[in-house]
Amino acid sequence: MKTTEFAVLGGTAAFAKMLPVGQLYFPSWDRYEAAMRGIFERRYYTNQGPLTQQLEERLQDYLGVKHAICVTNATIGLMMAAEAMELSGKVVMPSFTFIASAQSLSWTGIEPVFCDVDPATHQIDIGKIDALLDERVTGIMGVNLWGGACDPVALEKFSQARDLKLYFDSAHAFGCEVDNRKIASFGSLEVFSFHATKILSATEGGCLCTNDDVLAARLRNIRSSYGAGKPVPVVKTSNGRMSEAQAAIALLSLEDFPQNQQKNETLFRQYEEKLKHIPGVKLIKPAGVTFSNYQYVVCEIDANSFGLLRDELIAVLKAENVNARRYFYPGAHRSAGYRDKLHEYADRLPITDQLCATCIQLPIGAMVDSDAVNAICELIDKCQCNADALKSHFAGHGK
Amino acid sequence: MNVTISTKERVQDLSCFGGSRLFAKPKSTSSLAQPDFERFLRYSKKFVECQHYTNNGVLVRMLEERLAEFHDTQYCVAFCSGFWGLALAMTALALQGKSEIIMPSLTYRRMADIAAWVRLKPKFCEVDSNTLAPIRQTVSECINAETALIMAVHPIVNCCDIEGIAALGKERGIPVLFDSVESVYESTSAGKVGSFGDAECFSMHASKLLNGFEGGYVTTNNAELAHRLALLRTYGFEGQDNCVIPGGLNAKLNEIHAAMALANLDELEQLVADNRQRYRQYQAGLAGMAGIRLLEFDETSKTSYKNIVVELLDGWPLKRDETVAILNAENILARAYYSPPLHQKKMSYPFVPANLQLTDDLARRFMLLPCGDFVTCEDIDRIIQFLKFIQSNGAEIAHRLAEAEAK
Repeated sequence: MKTTEFAVLGGTAAFAKMLPVGQLYFPSWDRYEAAMRGIFERRYYTNQGPLTQQLEERLQDYLGVKHAICVTNATIGLMMAAEAMELSGKVVMPSFTFIASAQSLSWTGIEPVFCDVDPATHQIDIGKIDALLDERVTGIMGVNLWGGACDPVALEKFSQARDLKLYFDSAHAFGCEVDNRKIASFGSLEVFSFHATKILSATEGGCLCTNDDVLAARLRNIRSSYGAGKPVPVVKTSNGRMSEAQAAIALLSLEDFPQNQQKNETLFRQYEEKLKHIPGVKLIKPAGVTFSNYQYVVCEIDANSFGLLRDELIAVLKAENVNARRYFYPGAHRSAGYRDKLHEYADRLPITDQLCATCIQLPIGAMVDSDAVNAICELIDKCQCNADALKSHFAGHGK
Repeated sequence: MNVTISTKERVQDLSCFGGSRLFAKPKSTSSLAQPDFERFLRYSKKFVECQHYTNNGVLVRMLEERLAEFHDTQYCVAFCSGFWGLALAMTALALQGKSEIIMPSLTYRRMADIAAWVRLKPKFCEVDSNTLAPIRQTVSECINAETALIMAVHPIVNCCDIEGIAALGKERGIPVLFDSVESVYESTSAGKVGSFGDAECFSMHASKLLNGFEGGYVTTNNAELAHRLALLRTYGFEGQDNCVIPGGLNAKLNEIHAAMALANLDELEQLVADNRQRYRQYQAGLAGMAGIRLLEFDETSKTSYKNIVVELLDGWPLKRDETVAILNAENILARAYYSPPLHQKKMSYPFVPANLQLTDDLARRFMLLPCGDFVTCEDIDRIIQFLKFIQSNGAEIAHRLAEAEAK
């Protein structure tokens, strides 16, 4: 590839259609049609129907947890979690996560206290939590990131020793294992996302997992469950229900999980092999797990050795129809609703700030095949080789 | 037990006294409308082909356009449920720095909880005994310096005092949000439901007129509000990585639900025609029956004929709750009309205590009878026959119930 062939310099895009980053696995049309026909025959559309019940049972078996409670999406699931756990005051969580984790706290009247992360694993830095604790902190939200884990066993010990409640945003972690134990039953509860971009998809959806009977009963009541379990008192209820259509897709997706995980892992290994030779590109491997879903390909771009800034690389890739993303950007502490307290975090989150400036997410999932991975890696390699020419292009564009 | 009998001849035949059920399958008050399967598949094909399953997909946008057209409003924003649509509309509309939301007590059982999620204090207003809904005067009595929002709720049959409450809000500078969940299809002399007040909120839950599995939407003519609602339902994001406003969450509608709602919207006229037939059957059957009064639809404008609500009058031999229990035992899933009213429920969040005698009285008298796609005219005849049986054997039933209670 000559420099002039870059699409950003006027060449033809490497991909005819925009390649997204999300998983986007979906059942074949025939299976979709059969599942929907079943719903139309039963005429049972929502309110804890037979498919939702079946999904909850399968998830309990698969994840080895006593209660799986399916919900309309993971954000509302996290809100229900904070409500059911009766958290108040402040909760410690990493800022290097999706904004919804922090928003779930704000919706329940809780102030998030942002903790920095470990530079190697990107997971919450447990060593930095103590400095954030005061009498208003009632709990910790661990976030299991990138198909890895935030050392839930250490976090359990840490929170028990300090009498803090602990739960997990495990939106990225479906199917992952820590020392051969499925993520799902650590802390008081865990919340999974079944959004279309996740390995287990209900198009929108999620589930809450817990071994605690009391918490499960509260969660069912807050969700509104139509007959599932006895009602128990809660402060306020919501609508967190999963429909039969969502449950149908999730059940098919659960059937497909082994092959989708396998595909992800194969593509991830291919990325690993191809990217390791490129200066300034560091692929983040799922940390702290013995089994991963490999649903994210995240790299740090070191501008010095790579030759381009992360955002410049993204601009090049987007022009090639590779929808590479900054992820997470700009970090929860710099987002609307939280940045007014930025002065508190000015020097408290150096690793988070650095990762928000350097991380890039690359495509993996249903729309990606081996050839695509080769082409993407080749593009990144060429960017590095032609960094100077690209750099002067960006300089010419005032960027 | 699946054994059923077609009519009851003796009081001991009642299911609540050990007899067989009148209906093998439950007859509920939910619409559960089902569109033609092929039509649902044709819509589904559109999102499957573009491999876009949620996040403001092609069908959600089409649905929003169609619904805006249907309600004759400029904007429609779809949500994962009416509950979260209401919550976000309250968030977006409430006057900053004010703490109270005026709402009827005789309404949806989770309405005060929604206010609690957005940290507004429910202040319950009285209703009008004819419409069972708030009117200008009952809302006006609740306005004070802390009023952030007026939540005007349409009753289950017909509409509330739309013009009076909308005008009151304008005069007093207080935003008005209509809960129009039960009034999707209605029109009044003032026009079509959808464009009144600052915004109107609807549900697409399977039990409602427009079945989208789960879902909801808000209509408005206010461009800024529509934009704000669309941002709030997607974490406050405007494009990639750009969270522009606080207070967002995930309240997105997925594409399968949108496909269902679109297919049902195509067939709405037929559903209303079917509802009309069911309503006529009830109307004819209940005419002249002592002690029970059907709430009649105002047919001077368009109406959905969906919900069947009756009032149990002084001549009815049993209490409303006893009647509901007897019906439920027969698989006739009648429901008490908004009972208990919200101000009588235990609340663990801030609220303004209220003394609402009319609401208390009304909350003891009304019930909903089965309606929707599962209920045939023959079913309705049997339900009416059964109500007549209760009416003519009221004294003996009451006696037996008292005996059972004493044991």
